[in-house]
Amino acid sequence: MKFRAKIVDAACLNHFTRVSAMIAKLAKTCTLRISPEKLNFVLSDRVASAGVSMWCELEQENFFSEFQMEGISAENNAIYLDLTAENLSRALKTAQNARALKIKLTNKHFPCLTVSIELLSVSSSSRVVTHDIPVKVIPRKLWKDLQEPTIPDSDVSIYLPALKTMKSIVEKMKNISNHLIMEANLSGELNLKIETELVCVTTHFKDLGNPPPASEDASQERPPEQMAEVHIDIRKLLQFLAGQQVNPTRAVCNLVSNKIIHFDLLHEDVSLQYFIPALS
Amino acid sequence: MLKCELSGSQVKVFGKAIQALSRISDELWLDPSEKGLALRSVNSCRSAYGCVLFSPVFFQHYQWSTSVKVNDNDSTMSNLNCKLGMKSILPIFRCPNSLERTVEKCKIFTRSDKCKVVIQFFCRHGIRRTHNVCFQESQPLQVIFEKNMCSNTLVIQPRVLAEALVLFTSSQEEVTLAVTPLSVCLKSSSDEPMDLTNSVYSEMFVGPDEFDFFQIGVDTEITFCFKELKGMLIFSEATHAPIAIHFDFPGKPMALSIDDMLLEANFILATLADEPSRASSPQSLCLSQNQKRSDLMHSTHNNSKADKNVTSKAPGCILSKAAPKRLYPSETLTNISALETCGSPTMKRANGDISEVPESSVSDTDRCQGLRICRR
Repeated sequence: MKFRAKIVDAACLNHFTRVSAMIAKLAKTCTLRISPEKLNFVLSDRVASAGVSMWCELEQENFFSEFQMEGISAENNAIYLDLTAENLSRALKTAQNARALKIKLTNKHFPCLTVSIELLSVSSSSRVVTHDIPVKVIPRKLWKDLQEPTIPDSDVSIYLPALKTMKSIVEKMKNISNHLIMEANLSGELNLKIETELVCVTTHFKDLGNPPPASEDASQERPPEQMAEVHIDIRKLLQFLAGQQVNPTRAVCNLVSNKIIHFDLLHEDVSLQYFIPALS
Repeated sequence: MLKCELSGSQVKVFGKAIQALSRISDELWLDPSEKGLALRSVNSCRSAYGCVLFSPVFFQHYQWSTSVKVNDNDSTMSNLNCKLGMKSILPIFRCPNSLERTVEKCKIFTRSDKCKVVIQFFCRHGIRRTHNVCFQESQPLQVIFEKNMCSNTLVIQPRVLAEALVLFTSSQEEVTLAVTPLSVCLKSSSDEPMDLTNSVYSEMFVGPDEFDFFQIGVDTEITFCFKELKGMLIFSEATHAPIAIHFDFPGKPMALSIDDMLLEANFILATLADEPSRASSPQSLCLSQNQKRSDLMHSTHNNSKADKNVTSKAPGCILSKAAPKRLYPSETLTNISALETCGSPTMKRANGDISEVPESSVSDTDRCQGLRICRR
């Protein structure tokens, strides 16, 4: 198993740093999947994440000037690593004015992702910073849990409002109740509701727009005013929103009534899928 | 009796000094003399000491008058013997940056009859804030450390050190500085076994030309506490003066100092001793120290008035080896002091330690090398 990659472009480095910062906010530990064309940050819906799952994908050639990998075998040409996302994010943050950044899979007493950074400095000599991030190699028999999730057939698909606005609203609602109802319809309306014995608070978003439906039949069957609703744990939604530091290029929310909410985001060229299950 | 006056920008530096010393300990000695006003702090484990001496020219106005007390056999110059709790004084100087903007003048004076320090801020818009802080009578401790005798000296701009320290997380307790004549490396201390959730190992190599002064007499690697270093760094950024780092071999304390016309700051930190290398000559060190100590005992004014507060914390160096919670049991240290009395978590890193100069008989087994402290 081998992996080495290099970034020399400042903009690519900043973008990669932002992506890893976002992942660090979304999950404490996650799986990094390395394949010849792509890098994925995966969180599967194992017990630890309480049903939440995430699939983040980026094309390696958009970031790395050099990229070489060799998976476990020719047929299974991928590497799956478990790591603490915060460690990678912090290591990348120290590469602010780097001339070059290299990432390698190494084995120093135990497997590590070694990030080595050549920093520009005022004097003639450059500074070399190295971070060894401990990782765990995931054996092939566990790979099946970490595959790209199937997109469920949603009842309603809607564009999201500004995520920062949503976040500040959800933050305040969290003080009242942990149980949030998200509902949306095909007329571009989205509501966030909390209900307790004493009080009921609803925030209405209008004119959001709906993405074109996958097939003609689906749109004709469902009345546009009819809301699809999902009851979720508000903290999971808040964690998702807290991870979005920058407004995405595209943000779509797909609701499957009483089952699951699927967020489909695109940050420039990085795609993020985030699934929050309904409360049982 | 102390009476001094500072301007707004001087208050900021003064406040930052207090903040830096607060990282070392919860107590602060205010120690005025003809040389200026010294702020001193020692941590409870006696493994870190900080002193910032503001010379009289730092202040707008500085007046220190002492009454000479005739005491039994000899006459002693009386010190102020003022010990303040950090909890009392730190909030007064909170937000030094905003103090610089709002405070026009600050007066600090003492009233030893009432054991009080009065700090008065004359702010904008005619506002005057007065703080009366009671102090405890306590003789300040002072560390004896010949920083100029160290084989290795580095002088660096605070900004460079700050950039290096960004690499390490606050959970990192100890940091190792490794030097050779060709390079300087700051790295995470490689003691704790790493696991998935645990720390990243980081290191940074800095070339000799980034230093204002670079003199390496002996290749060495010293390990010291990160938190205390950060405290010093915060202060140095306020003064914009370069930091000098003086050190030798592991186990011997290291000194970080800032020296400019207006003030002199010294932070002396104990470093982790390396058991295998120390084993060779512990005896010879003990002897020379014993000799030195007896010299010190003669030269320091022997105030029979023992300070209860100080002695109760660390009654000299103690023979028992407090079992250090080190993860490398082989690295037991030959220099340990009364860690039983300090319940702080830093106990587990029984670093090269401080030996006090008590009036009582000094035990000569297993002496501490490291910070030698005497009472003024």
